Amino acid sequence: MISISSKLSGALLLAAGVAIGALPSPDALAQARDIKIGAPLALTGPLADEAKKQEVVWKMWLEKVNAAGGINVGGTKSKVQLVQYDYQSDGQRAAQLAEKLITDDKVDFLLSPFGSGHTKIVATIATRYETPVIACAASSESVFDQSSKFLYGTLSPNVGLFTPMIKHFREKLPSLKKVAVLGRDDVFPKATAQGISAAAKAAGLDVYYDQLYAVGTMDHSASLSAIKRGNPDWVYVTGYTQDLILARKQMQDLGVKAPIITMLAGPAYKEYIDGLGNLANGITSSSWWHQATSYKGVGVWPTTESFYSEFVAKEKSDPDYVHASCAAATVLLQDAIERAGSIDKKKVSEALAKTDISTFYGPIKFSPNGMNQPRDLPIIQVQDKAVKVLAPSDIKNGDMALIK
Amino acid sequence: MDYLQTLVNGIVLGTLYACLAVGFSLVWGVLNVINMLHGSLIIFGGYLTYFAWHSYGIHPLLALPAVSLLMFAIGYLTQLTMINRVVNQPVLTTLTLTFGLDLILYNFMTVYYTATPRRVTLDLGVVDLGGVVIPFDRLLGMALALILTGILYLMMKRSKIGRAIVAVRMDSAAAALMGIKVNSIYAITFGIGSLMAGATGAIFAMVYPVTTNLSGAYLGKAFVVCVVGGLGSVQGALVGGIVLGIIESFAGQFFGPQHALTVGFLLMLVLLVVRPTGLTGVKGYE
Repeated sequence: MISISSKLSGALLLAAGVAIGALPSPDALAQARDIKIGAPLALTGPLADEAKKQEVVWKMWLEKVNAAGGINVGGTKSKVQLVQYDYQSDGQRAAQLAEKLITDDKVDFLLSPFGSGHTKIVATIATRYETPVIACAASSESVFDQSSKFLYGTLSPNVGLFTPMIKHFREKLPSLKKVAVLGRDDVFPKATAQGISAAAKAAGLDVYYDQLYAVGTMDHSASLSAIKRGNPDWVYVTGYTQDLILARKQMQDLGVKAPIITMLAGPAYKEYIDGLGNLANGITSSSWWHQATSYKGVGVWPTTESFYSEFVAKEKSDPDYVHASCAAATVLLQDAIERAGSIDKKKVSEALAKTDISTFYGPIKFSPNGMNQPRDLPIIQVQDKAVKVLAPSDIKNGDMALIK
Repeated sequence: MDYLQTLVNGIVLGTLYACLAVGFSLVWGVLNVINMLHGSLIIFGGYLTYFAWHSYGIHPLLALPAVSLLMFAIGYLTQLTMINRVVNQPVLTTLTLTFGLDLILYNFMTVYYTATPRRVTLDLGVVDLGGVVIPFDRLLGMALALILTGILYLMMKRSKIGRAIVAVRMDSAAAALMGIKVNSIYAITFGIGSLMAGATGAIFAMVYPVTTNLSGAYLGKAFVVCVVGGLGSVQGALVGGIVLGIIESFAGQFFGPQHALTVGFLLMLVLLVVRPTGLTGVKGYE
């Protein structure tokens, strides 16, 4: 009886073994299905414009990838789906939708929303569920301070905005001494205001005015009057486009003058220049990307020019760094999946950590905290209502003009 | 001279605040409706003005009457067809309705116009009064704000419609018995509130960027001005606006711009405790 039972068990095991051998592996099964990428987007509310920039380039990438048959996952092409929800610029809702995307829609990866604040919220959820998330519009290092193995950002740290700029401005204005800093009391604008202030002090400059203004401020007269009294050589203002337009106009109204006026990230955006007209001329800024660069690399856009021309043909306007960084995020994700040969979240996350690639947007290689490694970022200036790149020297297409 | 400049900055800013609050105050005082739509109506007026200037070259001052009348019609119809149905319900019901309408208008504008800040780039220069500088567009805004609130004040005091609005405000049942068509007066009142929002939008288009991002800031400011000045009166909105403007201006100078708004809100809280009828102490349009 025992021997019959043993033989039966053996036969069953043999049959099972044959059956398992005939079946595709779990990885292969996974590769056969579409890859789902989740995206909580602020399509309505105050961040709607920025979210639309993300949506435009992600859909451009999606069309190109799927037209080519999909992403190559271990030799099999998988089509890609983008599952997106509007979180109405409400951080709490962004968290709820990130959770829904992971648990209900079963997305494989996430693309994070615009801004450091909302990125941090979504990244916390993604880390909890061990889902890789790529941030394309978050540059505050505080977002990346939680040692998450699943969060990677294409923007390099804010610090790259300050030191090269101070060095460049000192070369152009050797008498540069008195600096006034006015920043919006909000995650990214506050971090940049504090960053430039610290860097300027470290460089021996006299930061005689260093203040933040509250979100919702409708008048900068008091701050600007105080700045005017100090006769600044350099005025540095941070905020969102509507704040910067108002501040620049009030500077003109109140007669606040300086040879160098920097606004972050105003001149990087076309709407800033359109909203100010001639008042935008002379304003300097930093940007993480500009179309004057000429990078080559992996992905659906092999050169900066190919991305730029395709974008202009589609949108009838120039892309800014948000467009480029977010497009690069998708190129990065595709590259990581292809290198991993799998859509397993942990394997892709490991591949992301090992990234060392060149793209149309520039090099992408991550620091241990998941941020793209620091590099000298383009310093730009509006001249005749057009953006000129002043530095680094290998991509410059204009010389700095001091404001008279 | 610095203090004088700060004072002038505050007065000019305050009249702009009065301008944005007076329509809100009227609707709240007469209809007992907290009009959550008010900020978006100002923005909508701003967009109409901006596109009249941008697309057809119409100066904002010329566009202002047409924009205001159009906004009156929109407000009148909104009240007549929707808000009148619930106007006698508890204030939370009308607040919820106007909140819903605000979501629709706000998101319509964000989708249709995008939230991209736009500006009427006229840059009219400044007026220099012995070293005290006033931007001409703000001065124009201040003058228009004073004229509009003045007209509204006179209308409420002298015209038949104004007296009817006051009568409805005091006792709607008695007003109805006197032959006043209460629903029509409600609609006219809401229409005037919207007209003032539209006019404010036209003025603000010359001073501030036009973007839906500012809708909430305008609504919040209208709240504070009404509480500070006294709810439901033209003079209350004017006094509240100017006081708030001056306080924010000096607070920005003494405590830093980060705390200017906080001081304004603190003033509101103090007044709610010690003088709930606001600085003017006037209740309604008597």
